[in-house]
Amino acid sequence: MTNPVAGTRPALHAIRVTVNGVVHEASVDPRTTLADFVRGDLGLGGTHVGCEHGVCGACTILVEGETARACLMLAVQADGRSITTIEGIGAEGALHPIQQAFVDERGLQCGFCTPGFVMTVHELLATRPDPSDEEILDHLGGNLCRCTGYESILRSVRLAARRLREAKAAGAEEKA
Amino acid sequence: MPPEIPKTLAGLPTSAPRFVGKPTARIEDPALVSGRVEFIDNLALPGMLHCAILRSPVAHARITRIDVRGAEAMPGVFAVLTGEDARRTTAPLATIPEGWGVHCLAAGKVRFVGEPVAAVAATTRYLAEDALERIEVEYEPLDPIVDAVEAMKPGAPLILEEKGTNVVLQKKFVWGDVAGAFRSADRVFTERFRWNRLGANPMETFGVVAQWDPVDGTLTCRGSYQTQGYMALAVATVLQVSAHRVRVVSHPHGGSFGGKGGTRGTCIAALLSRKAGGRPVKWIEDRMEYLVGGAGQAWDRHYEASLAVKADGTLTGLRVRLIDDLGGTPEGAGAISAAKPLTSFTGCYTIGAAEYDLTLVLTNKLPTGPYRGMGPPPHNWVVEQMVDIAARDLGIDPGEIRRRNFIPKDAFPYEIVTGNEYDSGDYAAALDRVIEMSEYRRLREEQERARAQGRLVGLGLVSTIEPGVFDWNAYAIVGVPMTGVPEGATVSIDLFGKIVAKVGFSLEGQGQYTVAAQVLADYFGVEMSDVRIVAQDSLAAPPHFGPGGSRLGVALTGAILGAAERVKAKLVRVAAHLMQADPSAVELMDGKLRLRGVAGAEMPVAQVAAVMLTRSDLLPPDVEPSPEATYVWTAPGRTPADENGRAKSYLTAANACHLVRVEIDPDTAQVRIDGYWIADDCGVRLNPANVEGMIRGGVAQGVGAALLEEYVYDAEGQALTSTFMDYLLPSIHDVPQAQMATLVTPSPFTPLGAKGVGEGAIHTTPAAILCAINDALAPLGVRATESPASPQRLWTLLQNAKPGR
Repeated sequence: MTNPVAGTRPALHAIRVTVNGVVHEASVDPRTTLADFVRGDLGLGGTHVGCEHGVCGACTILVEGETARACLMLAVQADGRSITTIEGIGAEGALHPIQQAFVDERGLQCGFCTPGFVMTVHELLATRPDPSDEEILDHLGGNLCRCTGYESILRSVRLAARRLREAKAAGAEEKA
Repeated sequence: MPPEIPKTLAGLPTSAPRFVGKPTARIEDPALVSGRVEFIDNLALPGMLHCAILRSPVAHARITRIDVRGAEAMPGVFAVLTGEDARRTTAPLATIPEGWGVHCLAAGKVRFVGEPVAAVAATTRYLAEDALERIEVEYEPLDPIVDAVEAMKPGAPLILEEKGTNVVLQKKFVWGDVAGAFRSADRVFTERFRWNRLGANPMETFGVVAQWDPVDGTLTCRGSYQTQGYMALAVATVLQVSAHRVRVVSHPHGGSFGGKGGTRGTCIAALLSRKAGGRPVKWIEDRMEYLVGGAGQAWDRHYEASLAVKADGTLTGLRVRLIDDLGGTPEGAGAISAAKPLTSFTGCYTIGAAEYDLTLVLTNKLPTGPYRGMGPPPHNWVVEQMVDIAARDLGIDPGEIRRRNFIPKDAFPYEIVTGNEYDSGDYAAALDRVIEMSEYRRLREEQERARAQGRLVGLGLVSTIEPGVFDWNAYAIVGVPMTGVPEGATVSIDLFGKIVAKVGFSLEGQGQYTVAAQVLADYFGVEMSDVRIVAQDSLAAPPHFGPGGSRLGVALTGAILGAAERVKAKLVRVAAHLMQADPSAVELMDGKLRLRGVAGAEMPVAQVAAVMLTRSDLLPPDVEPSPEATYVWTAPGRTPADENGRAKSYLTAANACHLVRVEIDPDTAQVRIDGYWIADDCGVRLNPANVEGMIRGGVAQGVGAALLEEYVYDAEGQALTSTFMDYLLPSIHDVPQAQMATLVTPSPFTPLGAKGVGEGAIHTTPAAILCAINDALAPLGVRATESPASPQRLWTLLQNAKPGR
């Protein structure tokens, strides 16, 4: 994606980024967006780009646990940081509870915006395990979905929150 | 002989369906929620180049000079194209009506802002965009024509000089005794409306990877295609190769809603690949390109409507005059949108006379294309306002005037005056459900109290038809000559009894693969996880269209069931042979081939299939060793259109009744939706959760149409809405969570009794919201007649209603 060509070689910047727990060292053209770096250089295609100007939220990822628009960040800005993308949650054969809730409540149709929603919900539930509907709407106000009409997304978030709380309570019980 | 396709669930070879009719989980979803689906921008081929397109910054101009040497000299640039290349090597783009096409890159003249002028293929998109900066273009400005009404006048600047006019089509269609209906009416109501441009905006834009094989002269185009077979024809026509040399591979796409387009982008990428010696070329449309130059603009309309009404509220005649602004060329099938209202011109009503005065005009704006609903949503928005205007004048409740004019439930199948036939329905029942569910009378009382306090509260109550299972013959009046839309599927069973169905379309969001898996699992008595649906490219798939026109759920069910019936016929013959019985004594039921009346004489489907594939010595001599069959479905009973466009076209007529409650803030003119109720009847629901998703998604797009979405051009034809900060899509804060009721009036004509519902509530929501707004405004004596009903527009109306303020 960002391989320069002889004669136009821009000054490359060395960066070191941890993505989904794996350390990557790379040399990048400073203008490369984080979205292009993650998708093109690292081959993590689940971070979708819907508008390239920070409105639609499809490319939302977590940087140090907080949501960021991968289309509005440059790869060099991620130097030394830890990033989570949709590929970094869930495991083979086992969806993350947020992903499973989106499946169970039909919180998607075409699925293009879905990774961005899942990452945004991830941040919400990490800080507010029992959000009110109003808090959910507030938190998801920057993610656009053209298919569902959002009602099923709201239901998905409620279900994910409940399951995560129950899992946490069960885990605490086991420990005790 | 065509197979017998079950028209009801009881006709499936199962004692009780386990999947069809149930809200099963979608088989598409685990990959989608994991980000593991191969959307086109996730595809990288060895040696792939990246395309960037230089677009016209002006609406109307001659290209006097174009110099690409600077771009060509850049290291990393492998091909540069201009309109001269296109003029030399390609045919103009196809249009509807025919004969108004231009080249895929502007040759000699630009006709709209965003029109492709030149294109570059380079090793990265970054470099390709850098190279565009080195292309020099000089334009000699021509007068732009932006307003469709002005564009019709003699002496207006011409978009296509050789045509001598900007008017693509002008014709008046009259059905029934319109003059008589208006002459004998007690009241005639007339109003003008303006529906502004809006459009699809799927979250994924269009993208393509095109690869030209310079040795054998073939082309492979992988992309986010809604209708790959038609794209192959369109691209082959432009590139002047025969269609069998073009292979189109539809990748899963992030929504479409009709607005994916792709012909120009595909042809440009293909030509670049050819010029670059056959290296694959990827072009991903960015959002700004989509908004300004993509396939996402539709329905730019000037309406005047008249309704003839009797004193008792009987609607007797409808006149609609439409000037439809198609933009720079009719290449985007925008004209089809003007023809489709014939499928349901008079809505749910028994109006016996109608007239359509239709003018299609070119202007210096982006060519219009398809959008979910394909034309009826603005038409319904107009007709339902007219019904409310009549109701208000006559002092009849909006629900009551509609009820008095509904096609009665025992009158189906019912031929409307414009020629289409509605299959079934019970419109009064849907209205009753909404009235009951919403406590409509209480809402009216609350509205009275609110009005007494000076608040602007309104209710919109409308009933509409969603024409389903599209057919080309509906568009005869704009020059489409075909009847019938084939959709094929191939069903095969392997020696373990697992089932694969091959189809000619990819994922788009509606959950069609799930529906196919539900049908096959019930048909052959297996689990849905035993079924896999595989997309075939345009050359490998049986005849197909894919998603569009609220058709695929029904058509695919027909194709799958037809193929399954054919496989069953083979299994029955083999099982009968093995059981030494007559085939007529063997039946398929619950996954087994059973000898009727002989307990225990049965063979599982998997066993019979395995015998067919591994023991040809045991087969009857005239049975091929193949538990596989193909069936291509098309709607039964379709008729070619007459000169007035009358035809049995769309096979099904779904019905919806919507009630919406709004309150307008008198200071900001902001519209707040604070209640929404829906009763929807789309026949048998093959997957009720899929249906609910279509309806709720349609409501959201309807809210956008009614209140938010508009492509704005200035007087010079400059596009002012080029980002999502200017073109407003509904967010989670804007879409009401509707209360929904289900009615089921099966279609007597379709596989399993289902009706088309994929376009859903966009047919109804814009009309319902505008009716509610005008109900709220009624005490002020003003009326909103332009879309979207933005705060700015309503605020102006409110000021006009309050002189002295």
